Amino acid sequence: MKSYYQMVKRWDVIITLTLVLFSFLPFAIFSYQQASKTGENLQQVAVISVDNQEVRRVMLTGNKGEEVFDITQHESDTNTIEVIDDRIRIKAATCNDQVCVLTGFISKPGQTIVCLPHKLVIEIQTINGETDTDDLIISS
Amino acid sequence: MNMTKNQRLVYIALLASQAVIISLLERAIPFPFAIAPGAKLGLANIITLMALYTLSTRDAGKVVTIRIILSTLLGGTIASFMYSASGAILSFLGMWAVKKLGPSRISLIGVSTTGAILHNVGQLVVASWIAQTWTVLLYLPVLSFVGILSGIAIGIIANYLLIHVEKLNYYKDLRDLD
Repeated sequence: MKSYYQMVKRWDVIITLTLVLFSFLPFAIFSYQQASKTGENLQQVAVISVDNQEVRRVMLTGNKGEEVFDITQHESDTNTIEVIDDRIRIKAATCNDQVCVLTGFISKPGQTIVCLPHKLVIEIQTINGETDTDDLIISS
Repeated sequence: MNMTKNQRLVYIALLASQAVIISLLERAIPFPFAIAPGAKLGLANIITLMALYTLSTRDAGKVVTIRIILSTLLGGTIASFMYSASGAILSFLGMWAVKKLGPSRISLIGVSTTGAILHNVGQLVVASWIAQTWTVLLYLPVLSFVGILSGIAIGIIANYLLIHVEKLNYYKDLRDLD
């Protein structure tokens, strides 16, 4: 074990730390962007899109209760999506890697669930509550 | 002691086939960490490291290319090819650049950690391009953390292999051939 400690050189540590800091860069940019969005009626919406086309929006802020629905394409590619209160997740999917199911619940702005085999993306966006709420499909 | 061209070709083929087998085996192992879906051990990186340290850069690149193409043909999809290709190219370039610092400054652990993290970066960039939303990149810190752990482990394994497999010292001469 001791010989492994001796194996580590100075530049190993420097480069690893640099890369770790670098991996937080998208996070930093995102929080900066979010901070500039000010307003009182900020609400969270889960936007579900397939192949870059928006198919459904679910209002999350203030949502109560439980809802389950399927998004199906090409007859057999199905993702079962579950919304409980202000959280959303993919409950089941017919894809082969199941990464989307393992991601679990998301509820914070900027979080995503991606099902790459089905090109399905669920993204939580922040919107200003005053603007065109009529277009939203608000689940009750 | 000099190598003939045929011996070098056989060595490249040997490494490439080992890498293909390892990445096929790795695909069969379910990853135990539910906290980081999509994370992998990156066992095939052992072979890339061995190739980098025993072959010339061009030949090591050949090993990586053969591995990606063959493991895609043996049970991959177009999407998985794009991920593994972008991840592998980026991590190979990173490892090559980092290795330029020389063995007195950087060990195999640093090189393999760089490879692991850059592999994640490459994959997530392609994922965010396919998903058309760059917020996928917010997942990067989680994957980098797993990448560091597996990078250290892979670095130690590759170091062990390089030291203890005596034959490989013989193949170090291959680098001087080009």
